[in-house]
Amino acid sequence: MNLVRCLWSWTVLLSFTGAVTAAEIASPDLTVEQAIDQYVQARISERQLQPAPNADDCTLVRRTSLDLLGRIPTAAEAKRYAESTEADKRLKLVEACLASPDFAYHFRNQLDSLLMGGQKGNHNEFREYLLASVRQNRSWDQMFRDMLIGSDDDAASKGATAFVRVRARELDELTNETSTIFFGVNVSCAKCHDHPLVEDWKQDHYFGMASFFQRTYVTKKNGVAEKFTGEVKFKTTKGEDKVAKFMFLTGATIDEPVVEISAEDRKKLDEEVKKQMQDDKAGPAPKPDFSPRAKLVELALQPANNQMFARAIVNRIWEMYLGRGIVHPVDQMHSGNAASHPELLDWLTRDLIQHQFDLKRLVRGIVLSQAYSRSSEWTASAEWPSPDLFAVALVRPLSPRQYSLSLRLASAAPESYKPEAGGDEWQKRRDELERSAEGFAGQFELPAENFQIGVDEALLFSNSPQVLDDYLRDSPDRLVGAIKALPEKGTQISTAYWTTLSRVPTADEIRACEQYLSKRNDPVAGLRQMVWALLTSPELRFNY
Amino acid sequence: MAHSPFCGSSEHGVTRRSFFGTTVFAGATAFAANMRVMDALKNPCLAGELKRQQKSVILLWLGGGASQFETWDPKPGRPTGGPFRSISTDIPSVQISELMPKMAQRLKTTAIIRSLNTRNADHGGGTRLMETGRAMEQAVDYPDLGALIARELGRADSQVPDYVSMYSETEGRHKGGPGFLGARYAPTFLTESMIPPNIRRPDSLPEVDHQERADLQKLLARRFSERRPNASVASHGMAYERVRGIMASESLFDINKEPQSARDFYGPTQFQEQCLIARRLVEAGVPFVKVARAWWDSHGQNFETHLELCADLDQGMSALLDDLKQRGLLESTLVITLAEFGRTPNINASLGRDHFASAWSCTLSGCGIKGGAVYGKTDPDGHKVVDGEMKSGDLFATIFAALGVDYKKEYHLGARPIPIVDFGCKPTQDVLA
Repeated sequence: MNLVRCLWSWTVLLSFTGAVTAAEIASPDLTVEQAIDQYVQARISERQLQPAPNADDCTLVRRTSLDLLGRIPTAAEAKRYAESTEADKRLKLVEACLASPDFAYHFRNQLDSLLMGGQKGNHNEFREYLLASVRQNRSWDQMFRDMLIGSDDDAASKGATAFVRVRARELDELTNETSTIFFGVNVSCAKCHDHPLVEDWKQDHYFGMASFFQRTYVTKKNGVAEKFTGEVKFKTTKGEDKVAKFMFLTGATIDEPVVEISAEDRKKLDEEVKKQMQDDKAGPAPKPDFSPRAKLVELALQPANNQMFARAIVNRIWEMYLGRGIVHPVDQMHSGNAASHPELLDWLTRDLIQHQFDLKRLVRGIVLSQAYSRSSEWTASAEWPSPDLFAVALVRPLSPRQYSLSLRLASAAPESYKPEAGGDEWQKRRDELERSAEGFAGQFELPAENFQIGVDEALLFSNSPQVLDDYLRDSPDRLVGAIKALPEKGTQISTAYWTTLSRVPTADEIRACEQYLSKRNDPVAGLRQMVWALLTSPELRFNY
Repeated sequence: MAHSPFCGSSEHGVTRRSFFGTTVFAGATAFAANMRVMDALKNPCLAGELKRQQKSVILLWLGGGASQFETWDPKPGRPTGGPFRSISTDIPSVQISELMPKMAQRLKTTAIIRSLNTRNADHGGGTRLMETGRAMEQAVDYPDLGALIARELGRADSQVPDYVSMYSETEGRHKGGPGFLGARYAPTFLTESMIPPNIRRPDSLPEVDHQERADLQKLLARRFSERRPNASVASHGMAYERVRGIMASESLFDINKEPQSARDFYGPTQFQEQCLIARRLVEAGVPFVKVARAWWDSHGQNFETHLELCADLDQGMSALLDDLKQRGLLESTLVITLAEFGRTPNINASLGRDHFASAWSCTLSGCGIKGGAVYGKTDPDGHKVVDGEMKSGDLFATIFAALGVDYKKEYHLGARPIPIVDFGCKPTQDVLA
């Protein structure tokens, strides 16, 4: 073990420029989940705290399903997990989820929110590209290439160019969002002045990044192309005029090779570009020998520079499952904003790079960790621990799609969805579910920090005849219809709880529901109202 | 390296959290502290104080860009002045367009600003600029004035909507929005119908059941909410708490609830009726109401257009100011007239005026305003501002100051401080009481 560590420490020293030395990072032979738990526990112990205990089975299967499948578990799935006595049931659960068709839909939706969250309108080709990529576990660096410099003629990257295309008309937007999304760095402040608070980011960095995109344009046929010349000029705060160098966020620069070109040829090229922008019958756009965007990809993925790219996605993926980045906020990865667990971030970064940017592997490790499995309840008398310790799970609002999908399942008759059937049958059903949930998902917004639910949502659920009919219909395929047929109130109530909230009701809850149902003149109306109360519960609205 | 709280330093995160404590209310209070109301609700003395201080804003939005020449800053006899004259007002040295005779007798409650130079003469960009008080930015989705006011003056548990926006015409119809403040502050947006969506109990559900169903939901939710104190979870409960109150506020939107005398007082046009509804809403405590009147974009037939539209505005606005005054509401209600820009001094070949953002006007009346003030001057032909130039941000600062909201306040978006008013902008003291 020591010998291995020795050898590794030399290799790591060579590949890590300016990062912590190898002696401070644990062995790469650890599993992802072991490394996570080692570092997270170390900080918790340092504070002399006890972390929250593990979440109970029902909570854990619900959380894992929401995070890996994008939906609540069916009643059968939840019960099966809770009742299983297998020692490695949690491992089996995670493996099964990762192997299911559900995973690809949900992970695709998460990546979509990351990559296109701020963009209005639909971008179905892009979403199709993401789905195909997730299904084949396409590496993140390859996806980056697809999105930045991919071609619509290539089947593997078709649709990916939308990332650039929807932003190409606004240089600031393209520059800033690429930096934020792929590198965790929101440099927009550095446009007008050296960033007031962050020494790392100067105007040179902002305009340096912008130069990589400055020649990008959209053709009349809606393709992404690049001009042959062009540079970014800006005014410094001192009032000097400056021409930006091609500069990556690490400060690494490249120079454009000087090409001798006659004024006549230059004019021809400019006219060709103009034609591309105006004529929808023009041929394929000419490709310059020197492509700034391709150079950006090259620079960003070079071993000397690629930690920035790797760290950013590690941090984002961590945030997806833990509710808070190791660096928080996730778009402020700079020297003035320390990571809560710097060695862990370095370890996970190194691990990702060494495993070819395999995101699914990282997800698996995170979800298998103890840190992920903690309860979100804090019952100790000690003060609530700071969220950056990950000693207690965070409560996270469901995304619009998770909520819409989950409502569909929660309001359905328990036997109507059978993921355990697997194969093509479940694949088809799951695909249908995904489509049918799409429309309703549009009613909700993507949760951001300080997410607040507005009264419009409460009014929608309280009063919209369509919503009420859809979810509370007394028909055999709906929960209401299914429990109506059950002989006893007790089973009606517990079936409703398992289907909507993935757990058994408490004695108090049973009592409250029984009392409510007994008072109703119309028993079916009573069931509808009880199911409504469960569907609109905060417990369904959040991932805890 | 200064450890600024804006860099997302976790040390500061701990400090804030421990400051607000760990009780059940902690989560809600930590967020609602910015709304400064949840603490007040727990303290009966403060609650009373707050009610007395309940302030509101009515924004009369002149969609398309009203001409300052035909309203607040006439240039009679000049080549740019057009055919209309100016008339005396109840303020000795001040004249406004003859198209606004009723408002001419009500300048004692109104301040006119004649020196807006906002530079953006594009419908989309100008609208964003005048709605949010700042230029659009890639990195930040700024909230509009309605969302800001809903946040600053609204109550977390309000039984009425926080932000109502009425835009009946199709031209220029724009919803605006809460930007990074989130859907909680989105407007109730009324276009073809004056009935807010989902405000009525469905026929299939009797009143008693509607109430008892809500009570059951609340009861069943209690265990979860108590064990997971968190501002988002708390907002869920709060949203459902507000449903009954909001449903009851449906009647506020029903003009038939007003006696005929009141309806006659305002007048029969859609805009005038909506002004009456606005009064009903602020009377009930709605912090922000926008009434849009479109379409002032008179590239052709400028003078006919303004003859008609100014008459509508003049009647609606003066009735509104009188009614608010009579009910003792004017001192706590700020009435604003505003648009995306003004109109050119140049009269074009179609007898129209085009977009013009270099020197134009708006008005502020009521709460916190020095009535009779006229701020800023344009040159004799109205080509440019010669004194007291104001930007959109300055107008916003002035609005906040009039309402007693700290214009220097900052929100935080992640690590970044977002001042509620654009950098370097200040209130114009001359129009403040």
